[in-house]
Amino acid sequence: MASNIVSAKTLGVAGCHTCGQAVHMRRQDQVECPRCGADVHYRKHDSINRAWAFLIAAFVMYIPANTEPMMRTTSLGSTSSDTILEGVIYFLTHGDWPLALVIFAASVMLPLLKMIAIAYILILTQRASSERQTERTNLYKLAEILGKWSMLDIFVVGLMAGLVQLGALTTIAPGPACIAFAGVVILTMFAEMAFDPKLIWDRME
Amino acid sequence: MDSVKIMDQPAILFVCHECDALQRVPAIEPGHDATCVRCKSRLFRNPKGGIDKPLAFTIASMVFFIIANVFPIVTLTIVGVKLNTTITGAAYVFMQQGSPELAAIVWLPSVLIPGLIIAGLFYVLFSIRFQMGWRYAKHILVWISRLLPWGMMDVFMLGILVSMVKLVGLADVVIGTGFYAFAILVILYASTIASLEPHTLWECLKDPTGSRKEPGNG
Repeated sequence: MASNIVSAKTLGVAGCHTCGQAVHMRRQDQVECPRCGADVHYRKHDSINRAWAFLIAAFVMYIPANTEPMMRTTSLGSTSSDTILEGVIYFLTHGDWPLALVIFAASVMLPLLKMIAIAYILILTQRASSERQTERTNLYKLAEILGKWSMLDIFVVGLMAGLVQLGALTTIAPGPACIAFAGVVILTMFAEMAFDPKLIWDRME
Repeated sequence: MDSVKIMDQPAILFVCHECDALQRVPAIEPGHDATCVRCKSRLFRNPKGGIDKPLAFTIASMVFFIIANVFPIVTLTIVGVKLNTTITGAAYVFMQQGSPELAAIVWLPSVLIPGLIIAGLFYVLFSIRFQMGWRYAKHILVWISRLLPWGMMDVFMLGILVSMVKLVGLADVVIGTGFYAFAILVILYASTIASLEPHTLWECLKDPTGSRKEPGNG
């Protein structure tokens, strides 16, 4: 059954990345989409290299994001700073395990799993593997949907720092991990956007 | 009156956005999806309610967007001092504390980008529904599709809940009008996106006089 399914590229047709229109490429590498006016290419430009660059940068940022403090709380002269994991442990030991679970899943597990998923997809795509193509496509779509939830802790720190503004008594300030963490989320989103899922299905063509 | 015909689409050639499989897709009933023959991804949907439904959700979203951003989301009482804060107010304080880049990372996906998407959708949908032929509709729809991944009001909603739980130990926390409006806004916004099919919008915006190049069957 699968044998009579053809990729549009083999017939000189490309789907517009912006609006989805099927466009006849007329033997050119780039044409203007007749429907939305965007530039149409067969595949995203330099997709795998750009995806790797963003992904490696995200991996590097993931280290300070977890080792540096996320939030500094100053209350009556004493300052405490917490990394993400220390925050999770705090809630765990105070019996607030649902909150600990939410923060751990969104901030620690999700970015790591997304980076591993993209790396896995990239490696198999570079090998032109024909294994588990549908599963890899679904994994890519899942990474696309779930990635943004890692922003949770940044929003929490931002809200708390913005809401608690009593200066002398209690202040909450963001730690150096914040910008690193935002970097992880944004760079993994760039990596996922740079990758063209159609490459998963390009093999002997 | 209602000349926006969504049901009368003949079979069209579709390139799967995920796997590049070229396929002919017959017209589908409202409320149903067309899936790719190769990777089983959704090719496009034909949501019930046509253009009217997303337009109604968009208008409702605009109303709640304003309420959610004008009224305080939370009132904190710390040692007798009361603080009312809107989302933008919190971001502004965050900026003054010397973290303008972080304030932007918080404010853009929670306020500005969703606001632009909602306003842009209103422009596009209103133009299509009432055949206004507004000239920027195409450009705006391109920009909406680029901005969509960066709108994160749903994540922000969870962020508000988590920070409230964290703040209970530090202050008396009273939920404000803005919070309820924001919660409703998140649902309305999700409903707007769920009732939209970009393919349908693009077909409506297509220049009727322009020559449309349909690829042959090969």
